[in-house]
Amino acid sequence: MNRKKPIWVSCLQYALLITVALFMIFPIFWIFSNSLRTLPGISHFPPRLLPEELMFENYVEVLRGSNALIYFRNTMILIVANTVGTLISSSFVAYPLARMNFKGRNFVFALIIATMMVPAVTTIIPQFIIFRTLGWLDSLWPMIVPGFFAFPYNVFLFRQFFMTIPKELDEAAKMDGCNKLQVFTVMIVPLAKPIFITVTVLSSIWWWNELFLPLIYVQSHHLRPLTTGALAGFRVPGSPHMIQWNLQMAMATLMIIPPMILYLVASKHLVQGIKATGLKD
Amino acid sequence: MQKVKGIKNNLSAYGFLSPWFIGFVLFIGGPIIASIVLSFTRWNLLGTPEFFGLQNYVNMFMPGSGFLNSLRATLFYTVISVTVSVFASLFMAVLLNFRVKFRGIFQFCFFAPAVMPTVALAFVFQLIFNQHMGILNYGLSRLGIAIQPNWLNDPFWVWVSMGIVTVFTYSTGQMMLIFNAALKDVPQAQYEAADVEGANFFQRFWHVTIPNISPIILFNVVVGTVNSFNTAFSIVFPLTNGGPANETMVLSLELYNSAFGMFNMGHASAVATVLFVIVAIVGALQFRLSKKAVHYD
Repeated sequence: MNRKKPIWVSCLQYALLITVALFMIFPIFWIFSNSLRTLPGISHFPPRLLPEELMFENYVEVLRGSNALIYFRNTMILIVANTVGTLISSSFVAYPLARMNFKGRNFVFALIIATMMVPAVTTIIPQFIIFRTLGWLDSLWPMIVPGFFAFPYNVFLFRQFFMTIPKELDEAAKMDGCNKLQVFTVMIVPLAKPIFITVTVLSSIWWWNELFLPLIYVQSHHLRPLTTGALAGFRVPGSPHMIQWNLQMAMATLMIIPPMILYLVASKHLVQGIKATGLKD
Repeated sequence: MQKVKGIKNNLSAYGFLSPWFIGFVLFIGGPIIASIVLSFTRWNLLGTPEFFGLQNYVNMFMPGSGFLNSLRATLFYTVISVTVSVFASLFMAVLLNFRVKFRGIFQFCFFAPAVMPTVALAFVFQLIFNQHMGILNYGLSRLGIAIQPNWLNDPFWVWVSMGIVTVFTYSTGQMMLIFNAALKDVPQAQYEAADVEGANFFQRFWHVTIPNISPIILFNVVVGTVNSFNTAFSIVFPLTNGGPANETMVLSLELYNSAFGMFNMGHASAVATVLFVIVAIVGALQFRLSKKAVHYD
């Protein structure tokens, strides 16, 4: 802080920051701007930065004329179920990894770290067969049930946080006659509130954006979440190959606003969670 | 007594671990083994799988198989996405470490596209990249640049397009936040020492910043590589669906098409096995490297 910057350096820094910021939010601006146009307005050449007249009707049409609200409901089911599932199961699994000495701890932890890297596509075929055998295809169950069996990435986040809570607290609770489960629920969980929020935020954004699994498990329109629902697209009536880009962009706007609000509200927790994966301890 | 306590302790620990253990067997470990087994069979989901030996693997190298092309597309995608993500994220993280006001707002702008669904990202870039009415080619023509690439439909420019889109993905945003934190940990004293010697901005960056964050750069490269196998599908499928002419048909997309489009489970499982082996090799590499760079305890 003691080094004084010449004015021109500051100006240059702001100019760079503003340029990059405009570049980075351009796609967001462009989605929004196009969502308020008429279809001819989108294909107008040369392109205009702002719409000629504001077509808020596009949003009405998307909300009324399509399954958007049903897709939204399905996405919310996936988010809530998976978040509840992973909060319970992942924190549960992380507890002994962080705070108990038992045989095979390092091996189990190494295995969990290793499974963080396994791409979903490599295990999808046998999973598909399992869920087909159970008769769960074309339902949301194949995307909900695994959430209750601890997601490795979240186990890792919980474990890292639990490590930071002083061990003496466990001992004190044990003195008071708490068993392991009580130590966890009474002692650790309340202290670990920040990491529960972080995992909630990350899990919500993850399931809001998830594309691959619903593509495989859900065919019916009324069961699709927003991602695969939006992919079906808005076609010009009578010409199925023409996309109604203005409606597509209105749909996209509706899809990008919630995660951005979540980021605005909980940026501290989101940033903490992401950093925790990259840094020492 | 001590021993009984130890056993009880182990039991309760494994009690806590049981959700993970069941999940591991059912959804990760079991399926990996099952995929390997299925890769030696021929099966279209009807009837029972029939033993096919190594034929699925042999067929991968036969003329007419798309496998080698997919391997190439995966390599292209991984190299481009990791390179672009690392450079773009480091650049933005450096900007965010300038001593200026409104850093929160700038960080929001830099990171906001990362939380967008890739589907929405793909939609808007289909508009931006449109050869005739897209704003990118219009902008190029206004700048006096004569070329008007057909961004998403040209085998060369489609990879440039992928590189551009990568700047806006979650992995870039994630790396940016990690770099941002790492840059704050660089000892201030080293910068001051460099200043005393009269170093300019680039010399400081090269001789102080880079050596201090090199473990994090390595970490991001390896994690980015592993992540790219996961993200490839969610970017490529909505953006190009493997086109033009299979140019961007990455392995995960080929697996998806052969398993759930053509129901060729044997071939798809063989592709899954190959992809798994690739990830395992990269992962083992990461493990060796990160032992030095990242400490989990």
